[in-house]
Amino acid sequence: MITVDHLTKTYGGFTAVDDVSFTAQHGRVTGFLGPNGAGKTTTMRIMVGLTPATSGSVRIGGRDYRDIPNPGLHVGVLLDASAQHAGRTGREVLMIGAKTMGLPDSRVDEMLELVSLTPAESKRRVRNYSLGMRQRLGIAHALLGDPSVLILDEPANGLDPAGIRWMRRLLKSYADQGGTVLLSSHLLNEVELIADEMILIGRGTIVASGTKESLLSGQASSTLVHSEDNDALGRHLTAAGHAVAVEAGGLRVDCDSPTVGRAALEAQVVLTELRSGAAGLEDLFLALTEDTQREGRPAAATAQGGTA
Amino acid sequence: MSANATSEVLDVSGTPRVPFSRLVSVEVRKALDTRAGRWFSGSIVLLSLAVVVIYAFAAPEGSRDFGDVITVSGGVLGYFLPILLILMVTSEWSQRTGLTTFTLEPHRGRVVGAKLCGGLILGAGLILVAMGVAAIGTLLGGGAWSITADVLVKGSLVANLIGILTGFAIGMLLMNSPAAIVTYFIYSLVLPIAVNVLSAFQEWFADLAPWIEFNTAQGLMFQDEGAPGGTLLAQLLVSGTIWLVVPFVLGLLRLLRAEPK
Repeated sequence: MITVDHLTKTYGGFTAVDDVSFTAQHGRVTGFLGPNGAGKTTTMRIMVGLTPATSGSVRIGGRDYRDIPNPGLHVGVLLDASAQHAGRTGREVLMIGAKTMGLPDSRVDEMLELVSLTPAESKRRVRNYSLGMRQRLGIAHALLGDPSVLILDEPANGLDPAGIRWMRRLLKSYADQGGTVLLSSHLLNEVELIADEMILIGRGTIVASGTKESLLSGQASSTLVHSEDNDALGRHLTAAGHAVAVEAGGLRVDCDSPTVGRAALEAQVVLTELRSGAAGLEDLFLALTEDTQREGRPAAATAQGGTA
Repeated sequence: MSANATSEVLDVSGTPRVPFSRLVSVEVRKALDTRAGRWFSGSIVLLSLAVVVIYAFAAPEGSRDFGDVITVSGGVLGYFLPILLILMVTSEWSQRTGLTTFTLEPHRGRVVGAKLCGGLILGAGLILVAMGVAAIGTLLGGGAWSITADVLVKGSLVANLIGILTGFAIGMLLMNSPAAIVTYFIYSLVLPIAVNVLSAFQEWFADLAPWIEFNTAQGLMFQDEGAPGGTLLAQLLVSGTIWLVVPFVLGLLRLLRAEPK
């Protein structure tokens, strides 16, 4: 388990990480989510001792990273899949890791097989790897020492859809066995599917955290409905005291879907589509990090929110 | 996954730290396992072989002894050895492997020590290769199997040790492969020429040069027989402090603090 306690990192006058505190529990996948430059990578670099913190601390399993002997056996780290010597073969990259940690050579072949890098691919130089292959190699490297804690920065970057699904299953099973998984991403959908807990960070500060359900619980209910007679249904709902707006060939009503369904039954209107129109995580995320986005809040995201 | 995985506290009682000897062997491996490393070491061995073969036939009769030939083969290899050391240090930054290296061993001082030891092992291996090449040259040239203590101690040990430390210092100070290699060539080729030219025209500078320029002082050391004494030793210490000790310490401080990006 990872405990980040009032962590702050400043570079001159720029505050990259501003009083960040959170916990990544064991047995759970924790998603670390934020726009580019929000401070995710800096936080992870501080975790593994590559960057000194200005103040605050990070403890992994109750210890400072520097105080973990042979840390590769306890904490699997992937910070940047492209940070490998271009002239080294993929297999050799893993061999160096295995030698440092004191693992048998057979472990390298096991890991290559686990991440589906073929023997022929593993003998090619990293220079010739696609981003997806580098990512697989990086994940193999993180898993080499069979660690109980995984810290992965943007691990799904460059993976194809099958690869993303594979990684999702892999990390899920890791957490199910009691491991701690912390992964960062700027892609919400990807994290939403895999993470049990989510930590949302924007411009160095945590803007929200919790499970998907708890994050969304504060949202007002809203329903999108299409029917054979929208006018009649709309009149009936308005009469019942609900605000109704015409949207995309249907109606948006500010109540939950059973209420709309009942109203349709009473008005004897045939429903053709009925779904929750509540703002999804994406809307919440954009709203919370609105002032930290590089672009203003895009209107399109709001319109698509119901499908999230 | 280990049995302690579900515990909130990491149980590290069964894990000793990475032994230093393992770090050293990994660093030696890393110096030779890349395409650049392999080609580079292969090329300089071939180059020294070529130079020695030419030397064996071109050198005058009395200069074809083992001790003479090893000065040639060792000279060629020793000149390029610092570049191997430079790459050992700078590739962690230029190729960004430091991200992995310093995560697997967060105590950077140990990594630096392992690299230096690895460099010394490579240097020792290189002296053996130089001897092998020199043996071929001696056979070809038909020289005697004699070697002086001066050649062994100063030519092989001291010169290579200085070379290793020089490459290491430049690498740590610049943390960038091309810049460090160019700096090494300027330091070892351009600087001595400039000093020689200046010394030829200005007598006061000729007297001053060995005090402030390490290559010049080393040149005098190799010319002399036996161990350097008195003035020469003082000159070696002063110029060595300026060109080796200070850059080494500054480089070390920089490397220990820098953030691998």
